[in-house]
Amino acid sequence: MSTAALSRKERRAAKRAARHAAAKQVLPPEGVPLELPIASLGVRLGAQIADILITTAAALALLLLMGILGLLGVYSFMGLGMLLFFLIRVPYYVIAELIWNGQTLGKKLMKIKVVSHSGGPLTAHSLVLRNLMKEAEIFLPGQLLVSLQSVDPLTGWISVAWVTMALAIPLSNPYRQRLGDMLAGTHVVHLPVPILLKDLARENPRPSAAETPAFSFLPHQLDHYGAFELQTLEALLRAQDRIADTSAHRRNQATVVSIVEKIRRKIGYADVVKPEEAVAFLGAFYNAQRAYLEQRQIFGERREDKHYGVGPNDT
Amino acid sequence: MADESSLIRSARFRQEREHDWRRLEHLVAKAEGRGVQSLRFSESRDLASLYRQATTSLAIAREISLDKALLAYLEALAARAYLCVYAPQERLGGLVLRFFTSSAPQAMRRCAAFILAGFACMGLGVLVGYLLYLENSEWFYVFMPPGLAGDRGPDASTEYLRSVIYDSDPDHSGLGAFASLLFSHNTRIAIFVFGLGVFACAPAILLTFYNGLAIGAFYAVHVERGLGWDLGGWLSIHGVTELSAICIACGGGIRLGFAVLFPGQSTRREALRLAGRDAVKVALVAALMLLAAALLEGFARQLVQDMTTRYIVGWGIGALWLSWFLFGGRRRR
Repeated sequence: MSTAALSRKERRAAKRAARHAAAKQVLPPEGVPLELPIASLGVRLGAQIADILITTAAALALLLLMGILGLLGVYSFMGLGMLLFFLIRVPYYVIAELIWNGQTLGKKLMKIKVVSHSGGPLTAHSLVLRNLMKEAEIFLPGQLLVSLQSVDPLTGWISVAWVTMALAIPLSNPYRQRLGDMLAGTHVVHLPVPILLKDLARENPRPSAAETPAFSFLPHQLDHYGAFELQTLEALLRAQDRIADTSAHRRNQATVVSIVEKIRRKIGYADVVKPEEAVAFLGAFYNAQRAYLEQRQIFGERREDKHYGVGPNDT
Repeated sequence: MADESSLIRSARFRQEREHDWRRLEHLVAKAEGRGVQSLRFSESRDLASLYRQATTSLAIAREISLDKALLAYLEALAARAYLCVYAPQERLGGLVLRFFTSSAPQAMRRCAAFILAGFACMGLGVLVGYLLYLENSEWFYVFMPPGLAGDRGPDASTEYLRSVIYDSDPDHSGLGAFASLLFSHNTRIAIFVFGLGVFACAPAILLTFYNGLAIGAFYAVHVERGLGWDLGGWLSIHGVTELSAICIACGGGIRLGFAVLFPGQSTRREALRLAGRDAVKVALVAALMLLAAALLEGFARQLVQDMTTRYIVGWGIGALWLSWFLFGGRRRR
């Protein structure tokens, strides 16, 4: 009973994880799926607050200007202020997202961006729609709560319930879409940053036939690991450059030596590796292992990790 | 550093293409910083073709390379370039022009049935409010949101009502404040009416109907005192535009709700998305009309004090709107 319940829960979790992974992918017209991580609600809230500050400042500046020029009566001050705030706000979001391709100033600050759900370009229509809906979803009921003290409790509670619902909707779908996003067919993503690190395989090139290699591996020695272990080793080797002070260096040295010992035992590498050669050994092993695994992959055998040959029932 | 033959296949793959990727990275940074318009002809041509090369490289790298750094880089580069290449190309001016000359009136005509339904809701509300008030004047307090009508209820004197209708000094009578309050009230109503339409039409219809009730009762107060025509003039100078805007917003809301109720062959979400195309244009038209109404209310109502002129200005502007909706954006044959 309990195991069945557990497995059902696990299955549901797995399904949810798969849905979230699928949500990250955008399919552009070229047909190569791209990964664009979905922006979380916290980041979007940050961008939103920045935008609210900007529009409020603009509205206040305009109001002040009108006050100085003497265009304002005392009575119409409050009404005009709210009107101005409203009139600045809606076009600001739409025009900013049109000009900067799905980014307002706040979104630029947080490095997030609106993208079209279908993979095509953003249309003016969808940007207008998602920002108009933002008014109805959040701003107006929110303003009702903030600005009017004389609001009766029923209206107050309805507004609270409404805003809560509007904020809860994004949590219920993997794309984190607001109601307006759903209507407009958009969602918000993090902008990925392209950084090209150096190629480790070029650092330790294969020795040519003439010279004797320092370390050489036989094919059966390379059969033990898969892509996951290879990429973990890659991360370790990349971290070697960043070690600065001596104590960290000593600790790192100990780790590398123990890793070399583990690998030697696993693959049955007979020769002893001296501690000062440990990193060089790992580099050579990385190279040989990557060449071997990539070769297997081209032949159609993808080895995800070291358990690649073992079926789920074989253990 | 290393000659070709000594490299493994995926490293050779990278070495051959790295130069192009770097150039694409540079172009993307430039396009993002200063806009695609700032690129020269050769640069924008290269951006497009290099982007396609990068997606191809990504597809190949996913098959042949196990270098995680390379995969992450290509993934990010292709995504950035994709966002650049598929940016909206239209200029803002062209967009605005197209909205006014063709897409807005066309959307209005496509939604004509829903907008008429919106007008029917409002009209019915006015009628019911009017009749109910004549039956029992207590209904006024039920319908009218407190504070909106000021002191202009059934208890006010006829002279007071008349003085509010014909008053040229807005700041002293408080009419200026009242006008801006009414404007923000009606704007809010219009936005709610539109946005709430998603929930199966009902809130939009009810809210419009309720708004009609309030107007009907308000009107009946004045008719009872023999001020019906005068209030008509006072209302119509901006009300023709403003109340039409609410009805049109209601029509947009009903359009959305209708898509939820009767999605047809597509899913509800898809139907809603399609309906949104017209509904949002309708909502923009309504917003524009509200803006125009605010200007009329702020200036014209205080300037024009004659009843007949008020009627002519109000309904004349209404006719202008109507002719825009009816004749705008028709293709010449």
